[in-house]
Amino acid sequence: MTDTLLRVRHLRTYFWTLDGIVKAVDGVNMDIGTGRTLGVVGESGCGKSITALSIMRLIERPGKIVEGSVDLDRTDLLKLSESEMREIRGNAISMIFQEPMTSLNPVFTTGNQIAEAIRLHADIGAREAEDRAVEMLRKVGIPDPERRARQYPHEMSGGMRQRVMIAMALSTYPQLLIADEPTTALDVTIQAQILELMKELREERRMSIMLITHDLGVIAEMADDVVVMYSGKVVETGDVFTIFERPHHPYTQGLLGSLPRIGQRRGRLRVIEGVVPNPLNLPKGCLFARRCPCVMPICEQTPPPFQEVHPGQVSRCWLTPAGTTPAVGMTAPADVAEAEAARMTITADSGRQSATAAQMGEVGR
Amino acid sequence: MSEAATLAAEDVTAAARPETLVTVRDLSKHFEIRGGLFGVSRIGAVRAVDGVTFDIRRGETLGLVGESGCGKTTLGKVILRLIPATKGEVLFGGKGLFEARGDDLKAIRRNMQIIFQDPYSSLNPRMTVGEIVGEGPLVHGLTNRRAREELVRELLARVGLNQSHIHRYPHEFSGGQRQRIGIARALALNPEFVVCDEPVSALDVSIQSQVLNLLDDLQEQLGLTYLFIAHNLAVVEHISDRVGVMYLGRLVELADVEELYERPRHPYTVALLSAVPEPDPRRRKRRLVLKGDVPSPANPPSGCRFHTRCWLRERLGNPETCVTQDPALADTGGEHFAACHFAGEVVAEAAELGAAGARE
Amino acid sequence: METNMQLQAPAPGVGTDRRAVVDEVDLIPVRTYWQLVRQRFMQHRLAVIALVLLAVLVILAWTIPTLTGELYQKTSLDLIDQGPSLSAPLGYDHLGENTFVRLMRATQTSLTIGFAAVLIIVGIGVTLGSIAGYVGGLVDNLLMRLVDVVLSIPSFFFIVALVAFWGGGNVWVIIFAIGLAGWTTAARLVRAEFLRLREVDFVQAARALGASPRRIVLRHMLPMALAPILVAATLGIADSVVLEAALSFLGFGISPPEASLGNMLNNAQRYFYREPILMFYPGIMLILVVLCASFLGDGLRDALDPRQRIER
Repeated sequence: MTDTLLRVRHLRTYFWTLDGIVKAVDGVNMDIGTGRTLGVVGESGCGKSITALSIMRLIERPGKIVEGSVDLDRTDLLKLSESEMREIRGNAISMIFQEPMTSLNPVFTTGNQIAEAIRLHADIGAREAEDRAVEMLRKVGIPDPERRARQYPHEMSGGMRQRVMIAMALSTYPQLLIADEPTTALDVTIQAQILELMKELREERRMSIMLITHDLGVIAEMADDVVVMYSGKVVETGDVFTIFERPHHPYTQGLLGSLPRIGQRRGRLRVIEGVVPNPLNLPKGCLFARRCPCVMPICEQTPPPFQEVHPGQVSRCWLTPAGTTPAVGMTAPADVAEAEAARMTITADSGRQSATAAQMGEVGR
Repeated sequence: MSEAATLAAEDVTAAARPETLVTVRDLSKHFEIRGGLFGVSRIGAVRAVDGVTFDIRRGETLGLVGESGCGKTTLGKVILRLIPATKGEVLFGGKGLFEARGDDLKAIRRNMQIIFQDPYSSLNPRMTVGEIVGEGPLVHGLTNRRAREELVRELLARVGLNQSHIHRYPHEFSGGQRQRIGIARALALNPEFVVCDEPVSALDVSIQSQVLNLLDDLQEQLGLTYLFIAHNLAVVEHISDRVGVMYLGRLVELADVEELYERPRHPYTVALLSAVPEPDPRRRKRRLVLKGDVPSPANPPSGCRFHTRCWLRERLGNPETCVTQDPALADTGGEHFAACHFAGEVVAEAAELGAAGARE
Repeated sequence: METNMQLQAPAPGVGTDRRAVVDEVDLIPVRTYWQLVRQRFMQHRLAVIALVLLAVLVILAWTIPTLTGELYQKTSLDLIDQGPSLSAPLGYDHLGENTFVRLMRATQTSLTIGFAAVLIIVGIGVTLGSIAGYVGGLVDNLLMRLVDVVLSIPSFFFIVALVAFWGGGNVWVIIFAIGLAGWTTAARLVRAEFLRLREVDFVQAARALGASPRRIVLRHMLPMALAPILVAATLGIADSVVLEAALSFLGFGISPPEASLGNMLNNAQRYFYREPILMFYPGIMLILVVLCASFLGDGLRDALDPRQRIER
């Protein structure tokens, strides 16, 4: 990537619980290009939110960032002092959350809170800051912003509050906006409004966005690049078209395959068998091996390498780029050949109907 | 039923040719806002469900979609008499549910069950899986412990759970597995009708498809009738035979699933469909973005409740009727019911806008 | 979980049985809710110490007076103000009573009052609170106004008035007075919990299954409301013990020759200049009991709180 704004390397964040150590983020690498939107997908507990909080250095006990680097314009955020970090938060990097109500202070008016955020990072007077707050509210499409600025968060609807959050996050002109499930708590029609707004602001500001969501529809709609996470690790990265059209990792394929889509009626859904492994009891080989339809003996023994399968597409899987047997010296038993054959057919099938379909779950019928 | 004729809402149910299992007539639920010293004086009401009429045919899945606060969950609970209705009636197999008392009520209850959204709050954390699933049979007189355990094991196998987990507690299971326990509990009394209240909304994508397939299988094997409540339009399309759309306590459209998704006749349905982001980066579509928020159900707009946000009304030059007259749910042809004064114009106007609807 | 394999294929002989899918649930030990609670409680070191200490106090307070019989109220002129010895580790007071034995008896009395008053508080509180919460509507409103009325009377004067009415000095009168004045908080707590639980899905599910109100209350709601009740009760013990001490100290409570922490304090105060140490023993004991109950309550709250539930 030519122009990288944020570069995360070997990030590990662990949590010490009663029952043992949970490796919530375990060696995560990701890059966010200037002006690009990186979509981070994965199921609950895959570590996507913890990655974001680690970037912001907002991890609290019993969690701790154990290792890694987070370079923003060549400054490693993990090496900054707490006060230097405060200067970054809400300034160079802003964050918005799923439930705006919990991140807004109920005892201050919205205008007040935005003005406060502005004054925290800019040396301007109270009046000026408040004018700018009203301006920001107008910008995020809140009707009658002068009146709204004098209202308290509880007087607003969920969609309106999310707009206020965005206004606050953008009031300091951040280089990077981290949006953690920004529309998950909202209804579809309101979600559509917020996504449109984010797109407009992105164009206008040439801002980078890290968009965390479990909704593949939102990712397809918004992202330029995609990172797929599973059990604390990145399993696949690539640009949005590659990930949706030529997913390599069986998990990505499974996710895309199991999604009910509008216009695709009845019939059985593909499924990914089983459940996410217990974080306290991870398998020693590939973390997805227990649920993987293409599993091979090596998968249960050795963690797979993170290899480039196509230019710009990296996948943590033993299958070769074409989906064939790994070059590693392993004797291929019958079922590998089988899995391979199944894969070949899908790679050939280049429809919008993604991949694995054939193998994921259709077993019974 | 006379073709194309505009039917009054009451006639909708009379038209049922395939056997009707559940009839909902003019059903309302108003949550009163009370005040005063002893909290008995009435100061207002939230009209969560307001005059809803439809029927559910035996063996079908009726999907019910709408945004939060539209009253779909309340409607599901009122139909099961978990919340008392304010007005209207529900007939189950021809018998009035709200008049039933004592043993009659218990007998009807046996036949209608519910599956909840939240896999965490829907299971009593102090009870084992066996006790949870076996509670229905116990309450209905299956007091023999051994026989009950036998039944529970059978049910666990049926919903795809390991039978050896009968003595475990809910907190040991993942969300998807808990949802299966909830399904087993609902099936324990061998009901005919199950209200599925957002059964997969709280689950991860990969688990969601497992549960949807399970619900499909069970319907096929046991001949169940579902009322499937959800906000995810893709999920509802996948599982339903017919779909109803709710807005602010009203049923605004009801039709066969194919009809509804391909030729929506209510501007709200069009907007809903258009708002769903598709998981395909090549089809970033032009959206029909609705303005503003859903009004408060405590103070719904006059006339058509959607008129404050309606794109069609705007295109038609803001006709007065929308503000003054409340449109009835009427058959627009082929049992496609819509509650819009200009239902006939929706398809053409939507196509012109390039939004939703004619997506194929 | 091998689950969806079974459901995917009602027909046997699915193609995937070449490998066993690991059932994640099998990797977790079976633990009941109360086992989890115990595990979390054990993490709370202060609470565990408090529990052990309280247990020791209870054992001492019941065995020593039982073993020594009437010794605690036996005065002997030749032993007045004698120093500690093997048979009297804390010496003798101004009446020649064995201070240690008397202290143990006093602890017994105070703890009895503490436990029994809490039983009454919980009894009334749970009954009225659950009725208000379950029935709701007018009943709820009437009961809550009753709570307001009781709360509006300063509780200490209420208790003093009751004691004066029934005649002081009797342990049971004190217990009832404290109980009658103190149930309001418990009732509110239980009511709030019941109101919440009434809407919770698993209660609705039980209703949908046709379970009787009795079953719903006893099997589903009370066990869930038990956690906050238990915490409140533990903390209530401390309050009741302090109340008793205050009453006895002011002369409304237990009067000599019967012993209680309050009247020992009262006595010691009169001889403060001659033998200040006499104040120290019941004082320390009072603090100890109160601290133990508080820490125990804290520990229980942390252990029972579902928000702190550790998944798996």
